[in-house]
Amino acid sequence: MILAAIAAASPTPVGVPGAGIFTSPLILSLSIWVPVAVAIGMNALPNPRGRYDTLMKQIAFFTNVGIVFVLFIAYNQFETFLPTLQFEEKLPWLTSIGATYHLGVDGPSMTMMMLSGLVGIAAVLASWGVRERVRSYFTLLLLTQSAVNGAIAAHDMFLLVLFWGAAIIPVALLIFGWGGPRREAAAWRLVGYWGLGTAALLIATMIAYAANGGGSFDMDVLLKATFTPRVQLAVGAALVIAAATRLPLFPLHGWVRDVYADSPLGVSVLVAGSASRLGAYLLLRVLVAGDPDASRLLAPFIAGLAALTIIYAALVALRTVDLRWAAAHLAMVPGGLTVLGLAALTPLSIAGSVLSNFTGGLAAALIVAAAWTLTDRAQARSLQVLGGLAPRMPILTWVFVLAALALLGVPLMASFPAEEMILFGSFKTQPVGAFAVVAGLVLAAVALALLVHRVLFGQPNPDAPAVSDASLGETWYLGLLAGGLLWVGLFPGGPKLPGTDQPIFDPGLINVMSAGLTDIASPYVAPTAPGATQ
Amino acid sequence: MRNFVFVPEALVVAGALAILLLARGRRRSRPWLPAAAAAFPLVALAVELWVGATLATYFGGALVQDRFALFAKAGVLLAAALAIAVTDWSEEDAPSIGMAMILLAAFGVMVVASSGDFVGLWAGLELAAAAGVVHVSLRRTDLALGLLVTGGVASALVLVGLAFVYATTGSADLLAVRHAMGTLAPTLPLAVPVLLLLGGLAVRAGLMPFQFARVPAGLAASPLGASMIIGIVAAAALIVAVKVAALLTPLPAVFSPYLMVAAAVTMVGGGAAALATRSPRARIVYLAAGQVGWIAAGLATHYLVGMGAALFLVGAFALAATTGPAVMAGADTGEFALAGMGLLRPARAAAIALVFLSLAGAPPLAGFFGEFAVAAALAQSGAFWLLALGLLGAVMSVAAAVGTLRAIYLQSPPDESRRAAGARLPVLTRLSSLGAVALCIAIAGYGVFANPILGLANQGAEALGLR
Repeated sequence: MILAAIAAASPTPVGVPGAGIFTSPLILSLSIWVPVAVAIGMNALPNPRGRYDTLMKQIAFFTNVGIVFVLFIAYNQFETFLPTLQFEEKLPWLTSIGATYHLGVDGPSMTMMMLSGLVGIAAVLASWGVRERVRSYFTLLLLTQSAVNGAIAAHDMFLLVLFWGAAIIPVALLIFGWGGPRREAAAWRLVGYWGLGTAALLIATMIAYAANGGGSFDMDVLLKATFTPRVQLAVGAALVIAAATRLPLFPLHGWVRDVYADSPLGVSVLVAGSASRLGAYLLLRVLVAGDPDASRLLAPFIAGLAALTIIYAALVALRTVDLRWAAAHLAMVPGGLTVLGLAALTPLSIAGSVLSNFTGGLAAALIVAAAWTLTDRAQARSLQVLGGLAPRMPILTWVFVLAALALLGVPLMASFPAEEMILFGSFKTQPVGAFAVVAGLVLAAVALALLVHRVLFGQPNPDAPAVSDASLGETWYLGLLAGGLLWVGLFPGGPKLPGTDQPIFDPGLINVMSAGLTDIASPYVAPTAPGATQ
Repeated sequence: MRNFVFVPEALVVAGALAILLLARGRRRSRPWLPAAAAAFPLVALAVELWVGATLATYFGGALVQDRFALFAKAGVLLAAALAIAVTDWSEEDAPSIGMAMILLAAFGVMVVASSGDFVGLWAGLELAAAAGVVHVSLRRTDLALGLLVTGGVASALVLVGLAFVYATTGSADLLAVRHAMGTLAPTLPLAVPVLLLLGGLAVRAGLMPFQFARVPAGLAASPLGASMIIGIVAAAALIVAVKVAALLTPLPAVFSPYLMVAAAVTMVGGGAAALATRSPRARIVYLAAGQVGWIAAGLATHYLVGMGAALFLVGAFALAATTGPAVMAGADTGEFALAGMGLLRPARAAAIALVFLSLAGAPPLAGFFGEFAVAAALAQSGAFWLLALGLLGAVMSVAAAVGTLRAIYLQSPPDESRRAAGARLPVLTRLSSLGAVALCIAIAGYGVFANPILGLANQGAEALGLR
């Protein structure tokens, strides 16, 4: 009942104390361009011999805090009963080809913006240990966050392509400059796969643009245009390729292992937490919302990719002897689950996918961060060396277990309702895919259980290097990611005053994300049989 | 106002002559000369923007001031001014001649942009190319000779093609030729001169596989010489190509397939070559070649939006390609040469980074906007295969640019004793720093203000008679 109510996106207005205090028509632009401005400003500041490195870190941190504050205001002000775009900004840009600077958020986008904000803070905190070329590092990190925010808020395909592609260069440079031993491979693979994805997205955009007569790139126009099935299929296939390179989905996942395992930690967190989630967001925003025929036609294929992704990730995690590689592959699991929900094309599964994209981002970032920190503290990555660490690493043990539980979607974690909604919504329309995904989840559970048992609770290795538990600084970013998962898991509808339905300061992620979902899911609502009772 | 229209041209020529005359005088240090030389095209640009909106014809239609001329002249003047400002003059063999030659090359482009008939097109192109050859000869006479011979062949091809078109249509006036072309059928006798004409322009612009002398000269010339060869001279050829393509739009079957194949080869080849090389100079030459391919692809669409987009991209190309080698100065021997530039010369390093990214078509800079506009035109004309190949080239170009950025910002500067001769750090002057900052603003601003600039480019395409 609760799940059905969520999927139906009740249009009942929910009053939030403090709503309407602060509004700005530039709220989305601020979240995109302030990091860019700060990045440029940071580079203009003198920093002889790294004297102000700490100041640079603080600037990056407070910029992120400020953005999250602004985003939280937007989240708090969000009209959960409105299906239309909110905080909309629209300016002409390239009028002769129909490209506009059109930003706006609906429920799913607002959810993604919050995810991006939280992950941004976690990424900066996770980067506190950076010692070399600090200014350049945080400049690139801020530029990446700006590109991710832009891709989320974009409501024009031109802008989406621009921001989607703009993320590649700073991430690649971050890996090149601050990555681990396999950074060369990681960065080049990322450039190759993400570049291919950007090209696919641009081709999809151009096919739709040309088929619509070439007047506009605005999503309001392109996603509502009626295309022939052939055009829809071409657009859909290109979008799936673009999404699969970014999320990633099997077989376009070639960058995952090296990027998650050999990037600097802050970059791994940012990519796993928010940048890669853009893949699923693209499928939701453009394919599911704009190409219903292609979505239906490609659904079994996409469900198959989702299942293959989870099964493959779990099998690799079972076989690998490197903890970071195992975590990198396990971080693919939430993406597969999210995509299954989008392939199932039921209102419930789509709502589950939106929630799963948020929770999956946090869970993927948490497992990658936990594995990264643990291996760093244990001075070893090999599973043949790591063992019985729980007594000496109590904090990291907790975090790693929480990450494992979040990946698997156990009750009390935010991923639980998301997983339930996706699976309940999928079994009817994509039974084979759903069964395969469940099988993959079982394998992932086995892999996680073995990892937890071996690394944390197994026999200690007397020959292993000395280990130490997470420091206070490391606890902050791990705690932030785990806290986000627990908060949404405990209060999906926001905390309420006892005895009332009145949310306190948080309108509830479930309420916010539902705004606009009805419109997206409307083509997939099964027609009611005549005479049937509602 | 009408009488002021040619003031920019006069200023540029006067500047070039004055610098040449000064060079003949008593030899003494003139540190103010680069600033003065940069001031000529800057003032000319200001005048052009002030009076350039005037629509007029002169000398019986031989010279035309329209939106096309305004766009092209403004673009080349800005590029020339910035190139002079950012050049490290200690790297140049004869600074005075270098300054004069780039001004003369800019004048050649201005003549091309304003010309209303074949004579002006050919003369302007030759003037720009000759200035480039002179500059290259200051350092490498062998390459200058190669450039001269190849240029001569290209010039002959262009001339023969124009002569055939003139013989076929009975007029050398561009608008009259265009009207006459509308009544002709796409026959083989017409296709041959058109192919000769486009072949000549392809050699001049450096379209693959016609980059015979342009690439070696671009690699071995002095920084400003390379800027002229891969920037201004190519821009002149591309502006002629835009005008010629506008003439030929009634006959797409004659030239479009040829141009599309050449564009595809150039886009992919440029990107692949840029990725394969490690020398920054070579990389910028190949990235520029790749972007020329995008411009050619825009021309192959043979209609207003495509031509407008191509012209818009010519502006972005001229800006980045003309300033690129100049701003890199002596850093032309492997990525090592640029290592640590971000620390040692931050403004120049930022300019180099933006030039590379813009030529690669990376968002959100000038080149991206231009290539996106061309991509939209390609999509509208249904050339998705060409678009796909272009994107393949663009991905490789971006990867190549990332490699250079990595050297600039992530590698430590080598100690001075290990610096090779070709890896000398550019001399830091107030003008060069200011020029580098202005270049960054121009490349970023081209995207931010893309709407009015693309609007002007479209008006320019319309002025050529396109609809």
